[in-house]
Amino acid sequence: MKKVLVACGNGIATSTVVAEKIREACKENGVDVSVTQCKLMEVESKAEGYDLMVTTGMFTGGKVNVPVVGAISLLTGFGEEETIEKILSYLK
Amino acid sequence: MEIIYSVFNTLLGAGPIVLLPIIITIIGLIFRVKVIKAFRSGLIIAIGFAGIKLVISLLSDNLGPAAKAMVQNFGIKLDILDVGWGAIAAVTWSSPIIPLLIAGILLTNVIMLAFKLTDTLDVDIWNYHHMAIVGIMVYFVTGNVFIGLGAAVVMAIISFKLADWTAPAVEKYFGIPGISLPTMSALSSVIIAAPLNKLIDQIPVVNKIDFSAKDAQKYLGFFGEPIFMGLILGAGIGALAEYKLTDIFALGVNMAAVMILIPKMTSLFMEGLMPISEAAKKLTKEKFKGRKFLIGLDAAVVVGDSTVITTALIIIPLTILMAAIIPGNRVLPFADLAVIPFRVALVVALCKGNLFRSILIGLVCTSAILLAGTATSPVLTGLASSVGIDLSASGGISSFAATSLTVSYLVYTAFVSNLMISLPILAAVIIGVWIYIEKNYKGNKQDGGAEAIKEV
Repeated sequence: MKKVLVACGNGIATSTVVAEKIREACKENGVDVSVTQCKLMEVESKAEGYDLMVTTGMFTGGKVNVPVVGAISLLTGFGEEETIEKILSYLK
Repeated sequence: MEIIYSVFNTLLGAGPIVLLPIIITIIGLIFRVKVIKAFRSGLIIAIGFAGIKLVISLLSDNLGPAAKAMVQNFGIKLDILDVGWGAIAAVTWSSPIIPLLIAGILLTNVIMLAFKLTDTLDVDIWNYHHMAIVGIMVYFVTGNVFIGLGAAVVMAIISFKLADWTAPAVEKYFGIPGISLPTMSALSSVIIAAPLNKLIDQIPVVNKIDFSAKDAQKYLGFFGEPIFMGLILGAGIGALAEYKLTDIFALGVNMAAVMILIPKMTSLFMEGLMPISEAAKKLTKEKFKGRKFLIGLDAAVVVGDSTVITTALIIIPLTILMAAIIPGNRVLPFADLAVIPFRVALVVALCKGNLFRSILIGLVCTSAILLAGTATSPVLTGLASSVGIDLSASGGISSFAATSLTVSYLVYTAFVSNLMISLPILAAVIIGVWIYIEKNYKGNKQDGGAEAIKEV
């Protein structure tokens, strides 16, 4: 099973939206995945052991050793499919 | 009619746990969500409310007596507990008038878009709670639904306009085009930051100061981690309360638990509201096809910026210090220290990343939040108690949201004062600022120079 960390400002609002969309897309594509949410300020200590980190906005605040995908399109609704494809490409 | 009235009253008396599934189902149906899905949303949100209630009593029962002991021992009068915005959002969504306020706010957005009075399309229903809470508190005080609705609508108008005006700064500094941030928790700081930033521009020498603090994250990083934040603050207050060593540690661990559990419970609200929010997005996007607009997003999308994080990490400990020394403040900063990045994000953008200015102005903003939080705590405490949250162990509650936010405080104050005098002043100020900004910053409207709003 692949592990995804979704980070946003407070670990509540936008990360829930993005996490739900990732779960849905993975289910549709038969990818076994576990999605965890957290705050952006915590990622440096939390990211280890995950296969992918997805941020809901811009992120310049720290270094992590996992691939990072920005997913603001999942909030605005423009370019949503491309971002989902990109996320899935890391998880297949 | 009488039957309807008595059914309504029975439901009101039953409290949010019963009311929430019904209210949310109604809101869901308005946005054409299927009945079962809407009801499921309501149920999840009611569960979130039950959870929030538990965590707030854990906070109030443990931290409340310790804060009181601290006041007795050292005279540091910080007895109003900051329970965090999540608890406030829970109170907001469980108000019986919330469907009316949500409809009013959404309609305000649609009308303003239709008449080209705003470019912001805001269907982020979740964040409507920042606007709605002002209406709910006004309704709680005045008992008049229409005055409450009026307050929420005015909050909405100000949110959309400030979002419009700050969008260029957001695009320029954070590099995200096509969006605006109608999140009052972030926008409110702008009415302090814009004039202050301009003032600093005029002061020789000071206007050149800037420094960087690239090691701040290394040394202050634990202020960004809720578990350590909770542990340290809890243990610190336990020590000031002159507890036994084991009790000091117990308070620390309990407060770390609160810090972790509040967001978990709040995320249930978000999960429940998501289907409704998505449906609203679809519905309004169809209505305004072809029109170019700014998509209103949660300010969470910009708080990942490194200068925002650094500024927040420095401001968090300074805010705790300010809380102890500002005369008149009684708010003990706690749960909302975790969302300081939201309060400073737009300050950083307006100051173009100048760390010196961001910290200085950010501190003024958090100090204003503490004072407004102290002033409106009795109303918020009364409102929370009325929906069954037990706060008897503490000296009242507050947060860094609701009417603690500068803009919300001013709108709230205007609507609970003598309306004949306060409303014309409020209207004049808003319209004045509106004309001033749109005239002076046409095409480059990045300074939300809402100086005058402060004077209400």
